[in-house]
Amino acid sequence: MLTIGTKKGVFVAEAPKSRRIFALRGPFGPGVPVYSTLIDTRGTPRLYASSCNPFFGMKVLRSTDLGKSFKETKAAPAFPKEDGRALINIWSLEPGSEPKDLWCGVEPASLFRSLDGGDSWEMVPGISNHEHARKWNPGNGGLCMHTIIRDGNRMHLGISTGGHYLSEDGGRTFRAANTGVGAGFQPDPYPEFGQCVHKIVRHDAAPGRLYMQNHGGWAEWSGPGGPRPDIGVLRSDDHGKSWRSIAKGLPTDFGFPIVVHPHDPDTVYVLPLEPMTRTCPGGAPAVWRSENGGDSWKRLAHGLPKKQSYFTILRDAMTIDDLKTPALYFGTTTGQLWIGREGGEQFDCLFDALPPIHNVKVAVV
Amino acid sequence: MRAAAEVTIYLPEPLRTYAGGIVELPIRAAAVRDMLGRLEQTQPVLHRNVCDETGAVRRHLNIFVNADNIRDRDGLDTALKRGDVVTIVPAVSGG
Repeated sequence: MLTIGTKKGVFVAEAPKSRRIFALRGPFGPGVPVYSTLIDTRGTPRLYASSCNPFFGMKVLRSTDLGKSFKETKAAPAFPKEDGRALINIWSLEPGSEPKDLWCGVEPASLFRSLDGGDSWEMVPGISNHEHARKWNPGNGGLCMHTIIRDGNRMHLGISTGGHYLSEDGGRTFRAANTGVGAGFQPDPYPEFGQCVHKIVRHDAAPGRLYMQNHGGWAEWSGPGGPRPDIGVLRSDDHGKSWRSIAKGLPTDFGFPIVVHPHDPDTVYVLPLEPMTRTCPGGAPAVWRSENGGDSWKRLAHGLPKKQSYFTILRDAMTIDDLKTPALYFGTTTGQLWIGREGGEQFDCLFDALPPIHNVKVAVV
Repeated sequence: MRAAAEVTIYLPEPLRTYAGGIVELPIRAAAVRDMLGRLEQTQPVLHRNVCDETGAVRRHLNIFVNADNIRDRDGLDTALKRGDVVTIVPAVSGG
């Protein structure tokens, strides 16, 4: 099952395990942008989607019938009245440790938690009221908390532009953990915080290892601080306390999504984009795969257009299923949804004309 | 201080679900700001759709008193008189 968050609502696509043909339903929450979805497979599966209504405010949609219908939860995240901030967008929804435990990252960058499946929400003060919070600045997409990764008592957050924040006490307190994470867009390329992190992933089988797609594209910079050739694609082996470049061999270190193989922590996928246009280099889209933790990369483009295809893939618009032979999926801002069969060896277009795609999630249910 | 007047709020279709399905909501208020305050007390879910957490009217909504956009009168301080119809309308925006 796929959930596809688009500019015009959320779609659900289903296929048998062969994944040859997908049946599409939707849009749900029609006409309203959806920036995050979650297929929650704990117990009876539930689907969630943020519905980011520019007229009437943010909603969280929930489906308890595998995406045949969606209803608003009783409440959406909201800042306390005395806080002074107002919710602009909902960027991430992730399962917590308890059956109805949810975490939610929003814009302006803050974290909320629900213990009742999304019917009520509490702001998490350790990061939302962090001493850095009022100093973060929005990137082009807004000041968003887009990545929430739980790892036992550790929690990793990705904020654009704020950087990577680490909690080692279950989300009570956080600290900036950006050693080696560059910020090419300012004279000091290695600040304590303020990096434009695009996405972070991890794998259970590789404790301490994280992969990051950061805001690269500064190899040619000739201003103060000098060139920053390799700040875009990074790896950490110490729970995110320090990071090093793994961008060597890629056509560009700019991109938005990064995905790790479900059965092999050494296999990681990125989708490099031209830094200036944020479209596929040379109009020829390709996913790049490393099978050795980022030491080398291979171009995967069989089945993808060879020319004249200048689409963009956003940070949450690429994912991978966890079947024995996984398939990769990515959605474009021009409304195409692609499947990369055999771990990305063969690409096919599943849907050619959806609304602009923000988010793609997959689960076997 | 101006006395509260009986006015009617006309709700567009997307907002009716947050007010039990009604189209017109009678309310007593002296000005639009007062009306929104009363709405927050009596219809908090509906109010959250009209105003954000800080109390500001959502950016892409327009409020009319009869035929006048409150922007062209006194904003939230626009006075209300008995029989006025307050219409909440999504702005013409998007793509």
